[in-house]
Amino acid sequence: MATLHVLSHSPFTDSRLSSCLRILGSQDALLLCGDAVYALQDGSAQRQALELMPESIALYALDEDVQARGLVFPARLTLVDYPGFVALSCQYDKVNTWL
Amino acid sequence: MKFAIALFSPPHAPSSRRALRFAQAALAGGHEIVRLFFYQDGVHSASSNVVCAQDEVDLPREWREFVQAQQLDGVVCIAAALRRGVLNDDEAQRYSRTAANLDATWELSGLGQLHEAAQLADRLVCFGGP
Repeated sequence: MATLHVLSHSPFTDSRLSSCLRILGSQDALLLCGDAVYALQDGSAQRQALELMPESIALYALDEDVQARGLVFPARLTLVDYPGFVALSCQYDKVNTWL
Repeated sequence: MKFAIALFSPPHAPSSRRALRFAQAALAGGHEIVRLFFYQDGVHSASSNVVCAQDEVDLPREWREFVQAQQLDGVVCIAAALRRGVLNDDEAQRYSRTAANLDATWELSGLGQLHEAAQLADRLVCFGGP
């Protein structure tokens, strides 16, 4: 059962992202929003971890949050708006928000 | 597709705005929202006493207008609301408080409503944290 994991906490303040990466299934996807998009920061260990994920795991981020922080994002990242977020929620069997 | 949306964060948290934008996009995309459930600090968005600066987004007002316009089922967790001072007329009377501040758009009820919404919906989407 493919799950969309939604993260919004900064990966520099807690271990949600690393915990999430450990339990990701091969067909799961990651959606970064809010301060979680700081995981895309160039040169960080978090960005490296995201780039090392298997190709089958899709990586998404909320466009407005990436734009607001002026981040340069990796090629494998797909930016989504709110209709895109809704579409992803339909596409995956479950949405798991790391509250 | 049927959505149940749960909000755990207060109105000043960015995740609270994301929840509203998601809900609006879901309806705009032709989906259905079976219930909105405000839990934990999310109950503050149902308070009619929140005052926002003029140049800031007034999320409690936006939620109110959205729920009214779309005639949605907006449920606020009663235990979470009482402990945070969000009361309707019945509860204010029951506990001898001087004022009620739960907007009439919302209904106070139990956590069972979240469980039921999760069963009724195809997807439960939660919003909380920053």
